[in-house]
Amino acid sequence: MPSDSQRSDLLQGTLDMLILKVIALGPIHGYAIAQRLQQMSADVLQVQQGSLYPALHRLEKRRWVRAVWAATDTGRDARFYTLTSVGRRQLDEQREYWDRLSNAISGVLRTAE
Amino acid sequence: MSIFRRPNRPRIADEVRFHRDQLIADYIARGLTADEARRRAFVEFGNANAIEEQVRDVRGRWIADVASDLRYALRTLGRAPAFAAVAILSLALGIGANTAIFTIINAVMLRSLPVAEPQRLVQFARLRGDGRPGAMSYPPFVHFRDRLPSISGAFAQWHSEQAVSVDGEDELLMTAAVTGDYFRVLGVGAEAGRLLTAADEVPVPTAAVISDAYWHRRFGRDPSAIGRSLAIRTRVYTIVGVTSPSFGGIRPGIRYDVIVPLVMTESQRRESTFNVLSVMGRLRPGATVEHANAEMQVIWSAFQTEAARGLPERARADMLRARAAVLPASDGINPLRYDFSSPLFILMGLVLLVLLLVCVNLSGLLLARATARQHEIAIRLAIGASRVRVIRQLLTESLVLALAGGAVGLAIAGWLGRLLVSLFANGVALDLDVTPDWSVLAFTAAVSLAVCVLAGLAPAAQAVRGTISGPLKGARATGTPRVGKLGKLSKLIVAAQLAISMMLVVGATLFVGSLLRLYRVDRGFDARPVIVAAVRHDGSYTPERSQVVQAAIVDRLRAVPGVASASATQVLPLSGGLWSRDVKVEGSAVGGDQPENVGFNVIAPAYFATLGTTLIAGREFDARDGGDAPVAIVNETFARAFFGDGPALGRRVTSLDVTYTIVGVVRDAKYQNLRDGIIRTMYIPWTLRSEDPPSRYHFLVRFASPESAAVVASLDRAVRDADPGLRLRSAISYATLVDRSLVAERLLATLAGMFGALALLIAALGVFGLLTFHVARRTSEFGLRMALGAGRSTLMGLVFRDVAVMITAGVTVGTAMSLTVTGLAQKTLFGVTPSDPLVFATAAAVLSAAALLAAWLPARRAARVDPLIALRVE
Repeated sequence: MPSDSQRSDLLQGTLDMLILKVIALGPIHGYAIAQRLQQMSADVLQVQQGSLYPALHRLEKRRWVRAVWAATDTGRDARFYTLTSVGRRQLDEQREYWDRLSNAISGVLRTAE
Repeated sequence: MSIFRRPNRPRIADEVRFHRDQLIADYIARGLTADEARRRAFVEFGNANAIEEQVRDVRGRWIADVASDLRYALRTLGRAPAFAAVAILSLALGIGANTAIFTIINAVMLRSLPVAEPQRLVQFARLRGDGRPGAMSYPPFVHFRDRLPSISGAFAQWHSEQAVSVDGEDELLMTAAVTGDYFRVLGVGAEAGRLLTAADEVPVPTAAVISDAYWHRRFGRDPSAIGRSLAIRTRVYTIVGVTSPSFGGIRPGIRYDVIVPLVMTESQRRESTFNVLSVMGRLRPGATVEHANAEMQVIWSAFQTEAARGLPERARADMLRARAAVLPASDGINPLRYDFSSPLFILMGLVLLVLLLVCVNLSGLLLARATARQHEIAIRLAIGASRVRVIRQLLTESLVLALAGGAVGLAIAGWLGRLLVSLFANGVALDLDVTPDWSVLAFTAAVSLAVCVLAGLAPAAQAVRGTISGPLKGARATGTPRVGKLGKLSKLIVAAQLAISMMLVVGATLFVGSLLRLYRVDRGFDARPVIVAAVRHDGSYTPERSQVVQAAIVDRLRAVPGVASASATQVLPLSGGLWSRDVKVEGSAVGGDQPENVGFNVIAPAYFATLGTTLIAGREFDARDGGDAPVAIVNETFARAFFGDGPALGRRVTSLDVTYTIVGVVRDAKYQNLRDGIIRTMYIPWTLRSEDPPSRYHFLVRFASPESAAVVASLDRAVRDADPGLRLRSAISYATLVDRSLVAERLLATLAGMFGALALLIAALGVFGLLTFHVARRTSEFGLRMALGAGRSTLMGLVFRDVAVMITAGVTVGTAMSLTVTGLAQKTLFGVTPSDPLVFATAAAVLSAAALLAAWLPARRAARVDPLIALRVE
């Protein structure tokens, strides 16, 4: 939905980056992505399912991730996501951009003090 | 369903469910009970359907959604077959009528000749007094053909209906006599054999080409037809080839079955006023019509000066006044465009209004359905469907209806188109191809889509407005959905129906009124029991023989049982015009030395008695009126114009060096058509015109009692008795001739009348439907009012007040809209003006009466509400 993407441009971009990062660690399904994000951020970031799944499918549509149905350890079918080469480049770019941005923001905040 | 279950299918629901199940499993693993885990998972998770919908939005879902919407629409429509049938049929009528008219417009005005590069074809035309292109004579044709630099070739055609004889069997066919370059310039191919070339244009030509249709009809496409001979009059031709099937000639609406080389006598070739040729040319590559026309103007004025030199004074002035032009002719020489364009556009406007009415009507029906389905829609919204999604689903339903209507409409359009063409043709050969081509299909598709949006959007948008909870809470129990807005929109729809109906009823009143007034016009003759016959003869007669044969025909016709009198004339009243001639009237104040132009006709004795025109003074012609003492009869307008109140009998009129003595004055008769005024007319007896053959005359036969078709055989016998070489060519009643002079008017009046009646019916049904619904919904209110002492008339008044508001709105808006467009039909109207108050008052009265009548039943039901039962409903 266009209105959603406009409403939270930064947030969504950030979420996309975080998801890409998690997926970069290896094939993983949606539930595990949510769990992992929560763990990795020490419970600070909680991703709503209503944001997670649209984001995953958006990434898949952009061909940044690939998805296949496969069995989990418990034997149930789940949809596993892996990063494509395009996705990996995207992740690197976004990460670089994010570093520059956060450095810049921290710089501004420091001088303002 | 199965085609959408591909291996790579995302299975969004499965993925989301997996997530939720994992969540539950996690909670259980953390020590919660199964029930508690499930509850918390559900709370945390929220609406799974909504998530799925969002994911689908992200993925883009046209194909799958459209398919499921279509399935859903078909299913819901299948559950309401009556509604679907009514909707599809009414749409089919509306779309079919539009397609039919468009098909004819396409055939008459938009289609090019089926020849190579038709856009390079031009017509060379003499411009007539009314600005329309007319036929040409031979000298300017040759002049242009040989001198115009912009054209690569030109040809002339002289066409006529001829008795074509094959194996001794006669058949009346349209034939074209053409100059040698005809097929080369047109770029037409042969289906069999060869076509005519310049080598065939010899003094005694022997080659003939036939049309594919005639080859099929007469010879069963037998190749041996080539080499057979056919005879036209005294000439015998050998068939050398067949034209390609798509080619029917250069005049849309007429198919030429036999094409032969042009033969003209030496004097016909010389005569620069002998305007019988249709002339066309082909532009050189890169040349434009404007360019060719500019060149022609230069050449034409040189030609005029040259041609005028040899002419007598009067004719010289005419020649110098004449205008000519090069006109685009990718559709050939097409007088139909002039004749039919205005009635066709009016008809197109009328059928578009009908379609609009059908749309609005469908809108009302869809709205009623949406009201009934409010519960279902509310549930869909509540479980996570977006409003846009629901609107799309409802629109799919109207799309299905519109497309089905369009398909059925297309099917009936072919039939309607043929019907309309036969109405336009009105007994005259009119060969229009009305099979749908791609432009017709595109038109129908576009109209269907427009219908879908027009009819479906408002009800669909309305259906998803408002709160979800309302319809879900108990409102369903009493069957009373939200009152306010729905009521308003449906009232608006009925008012719109009334407004469109008003326009159609105004149209009907205008055109029917015009037609009735035209039929009431004083024609100056009463030809009800009169049959008009024409004869043909293959050989030619000497002048002496002509006179004898003509007199014999009239004598024999008069002797047929049941015939009161018989006569003949060169020009029939209401046939389009008279010959015109310059006359000098002795002792007349008008004109002085200058000749005056008057109408001119050649008639047989007893003409006025046969036609039913009153003789005011003097006598009719009789057999003794001969060449040594020329006589004439004039009409009242002639007498008044030249002699004022003085006597006309015995006065002398000179024309073309012959001086006639006036022996009679007759009442005015209309010769052009019923609309135009009276022409000053002079009649001379046929005994003075020995050079005209019998085929030049129309023979009139007046019967003592209403004529019957059975007499045609006896007329034919009478004609053969007069001379064995004669045949009856046609015999039709004068009433038919009058009808033919009013083709466009009758067509418009008939169709506008039908559409008006249809509009009344639809408007009345709209009012009836809305009020019935309304009254049913307000049953308890009415019961309460009645219990509180309201009388029946009060309750009926309540209902009628609603109706009055809608009628007032509809009639007002309809009147305003009508006034903006009726002016376009000005030329077609007669005796009424486009803003005639009487017409509008009549239309408003009729429409209001219909609407009030339709309101009567529901109003009475309101008044008969039983308070006890009504209150129990709640």
